[in-house]
Amino acid sequence: MNKNMAGLLAVVVALALLAIGPAQTPVRAQAKTATIALYADAVTLDPYDTNDNLSLSVERTVYDGLVGFTPDMKVKPQLATSWEASPDARVFTFRLRRGVKFHDGTVFNAEAVKINFDRVRDPAQKLRRYSLYEMIDSITVVDESTVRFTLRRPFGAMLYNFAHPAGRIISPAAIAKGGASLARNPVGTGPFKFVSWAPGREIVVERNPEFWEAGQPRVDRIVFKFIPEDASRVAMLLSGEAQFAFPVTGVQAEAVAKTPDVSLDARWSIYAYYVALHTQRGPFRNMLVRQALNYAIDKNAIVKVVLRGYGRALDAPMAPGVANYTQVQAGGWPYDVAKAKALLSEAGFPNGFPTVLWLGTATETQRLGEAIQQMLAQINVKVELQPMEAGTLSAVRFKPIEENLSQANLAGWSPSTGDADWALRPLLGGGTWPPTLFNLAFYKNAKVDELLADALGTADEARRAKDYAEASRIVWSEAPWIFLYNSQNLAGLRAGTTGVYALGDGTVDVREATLTGK
Amino acid sequence: MSSYLVRRLWQMVPILFGVSLGAFAFFQAVPGDPARMLAGPDATLQDVQIVRARLGLDRPLIVRYVYFLRNALVGDFGRSFRSGEPVASIVGRHFGPTLLLSVASVVFATVTGLGVGLLQAVRRNTVSDYVSTVVSVAGISTPPFFLGLLLIYLLAVGLRWFPTGGMGTARSLVLPVLTLGAGVAATIARFARSSLLEVLGEEFVRTARAKGLEERWVLLKHVLRNALIPVVTMIGLQFGFLLSGAIVVETVFSWPGLGWLMVQSISFRDYPVLVAEILLFSLQFLVINLVVDLLYAGLDPRVSYG
Repeated sequence: MNKNMAGLLAVVVALALLAIGPAQTPVRAQAKTATIALYADAVTLDPYDTNDNLSLSVERTVYDGLVGFTPDMKVKPQLATSWEASPDARVFTFRLRRGVKFHDGTVFNAEAVKINFDRVRDPAQKLRRYSLYEMIDSITVVDESTVRFTLRRPFGAMLYNFAHPAGRIISPAAIAKGGASLARNPVGTGPFKFVSWAPGREIVVERNPEFWEAGQPRVDRIVFKFIPEDASRVAMLLSGEAQFAFPVTGVQAEAVAKTPDVSLDARWSIYAYYVALHTQRGPFRNMLVRQALNYAIDKNAIVKVVLRGYGRALDAPMAPGVANYTQVQAGGWPYDVAKAKALLSEAGFPNGFPTVLWLGTATETQRLGEAIQQMLAQINVKVELQPMEAGTLSAVRFKPIEENLSQANLAGWSPSTGDADWALRPLLGGGTWPPTLFNLAFYKNAKVDELLADALGTADEARRAKDYAEASRIVWSEAPWIFLYNSQNLAGLRAGTTGVYALGDGTVDVREATLTGK
Repeated sequence: MSSYLVRRLWQMVPILFGVSLGAFAFFQAVPGDPARMLAGPDATLQDVQIVRARLGLDRPLIVRYVYFLRNALVGDFGRSFRSGEPVASIVGRHFGPTLLLSVASVVFATVTGLGVGLLQAVRRNTVSDYVSTVVSVAGISTPPFFLGLLLIYLLAVGLRWFPTGGMGTARSLVLPVLTLGAGVAATIARFARSSLLEVLGEEFVRTARAKGLEERWVLLKHVLRNALIPVVTMIGLQFGFLLSGAIVVETVFSWPGLGWLMVQSISFRDYPVLVAEILLFSLQFLVINLVVDLLYAGLDPRVSYG
């Protein structure tokens, strides 16, 4: 009897196994399809309504801008072949590439450019990137291939705003169909045409045979897959289902680097990580205290332990990859516990003080917080870590100063325009205290504000660089932050795949993807 | 019977109404500004206000709730804060994958769980009972996150038998079902074993054997049927939980279901989607409970509803 039952069970199991079927020979991705595994789905494919890196990365394949970014975030020509700015940074003139067509056959010309920027600067359109272009006062079609922007006020960083991945040129015919259609059916001039979007799963684009740049694109299809779980995303790369995976976390880096046929691609980001200290309240009002905290943190140890070496100490209030960056202190703020203790005593806190650090909940953020906690304990500053989920953290951080309970905030910032203005002004400008922007230190220095304004008022890059260098030096010496580190973006790549990389701002560029062999 | 059904269905209305009110009030109380989350940390206050007006969040809560109710009654649950798509079509799109995964997992778990439970009960206190007990306890205790990654690295990365994730061919269903079904199967096995053992000790079983019935028929006709009632309750309950989206398993396997959607929506503070999901989950539980109650009547002639 019992034998019968066991037999029955064996049959059931065997049937189940048969249903699963024999091992399938691993299918190599078709020679010309590049599969890109990323960490989240796109939100929209309307560039002017985009503020997440995933959507921007996908949009980059379908659209071109007037200008774009090179891998190291320098401005390069795309649909504009050349440009000039008036000395007062108010008039910007672009010469446009001729003979370019949108994917729907519409001709690209100066009028198309005007239609695009007239749309975004119209407040009634309620587009998320309104403030990047709202300073445009008028747009003139000089001739078929020349377009002129006149700004309401001087804006020296304007070229970077045009290079921002949100500033793409959409087919006027597609714009005419309305925003809802645009968000799902992008039509640009880029190397790839949009094919399909299965939300939560994948976006597919295919080669645009009429792309204006000779020799591009080099693959027939690109499939973006959205894999939020870190370990699963790397698994997809290791199994050969994806040719590129981003990001790879520091913990996984070694395993990826060791796997045959897979390599780790580490590139400098333009992210700066720091602890913003509330400069208007409590012990952090005292500059000596803020300097003491900088001396007490061993940034190199943090880079080694938390980032597994994929980073470097900040040597200015912004990452070296940002345009118009100037180094302030080689090697970063020195690590000197004795000096830190002396400064604290001098400031009137010989026995330290307690404080609260707000931070996110990601594993690496937690470890970073713990490292800071331990290091500051050496100078008797007792840090209570208060991790908060993203929505909550954002809500408490963006409260105006009267209601803002923050003391110290662990934060990271990447200027999406790639320029020093957006690296300094939103974080340290006197007019950008929450809720307006992200000046979590409530820092305000008249000289810094003056320098930032002067740099915005000119198109002279040398003068801008000088202004930002001076502002950086002041900020550094007054230490509204604990200056931590600049990190690397880590991606995984299968052998034979080239032309795919993460830019410093955390978006991905796959326009020049090339597959050879494997 | 039909009047019972109508009564039960009517009872769902005030419950769902209460759930919608609770969900609305709850999300209002949760810290986090959807407009700021959507606009991003580097958005200016101006951009944030543009987004807030676009989402309709500049209107008072009570006004928003009344609008929501009025529209929800005709099946319009508003638009996603995140993508602007109608909520009904978003939830609908993610319901299919979750339903598929849940049904497949429950079928797998029921077959395996009942099989193992039966084996254990019949061979009580033998080696195979002990071994399978250890295995099922391990099955209940293994976190799905760990089991999922283990299967991915062994069977997808190592042997390349299955894809690492995503929803595609039937093959892509195997690993998520194994991961999700393992715990449920083990739970069913434990339940089935104890319930079967209880029934095996009953006098009518001895009678059945005494009248010379083959053991196979004793088990299938007399024991199993009587032992099934608590097991069915448990399966129903588990099915309800599975239908609410297996958050961990869907995340590990990039399975585009309701659990995945929930995680995405929470991080974006996409309240319209969350409220609709919560209403759907409540409805699912109500319906499953009803079905389970009706199944009792089918299994046990003493139970009837008038």
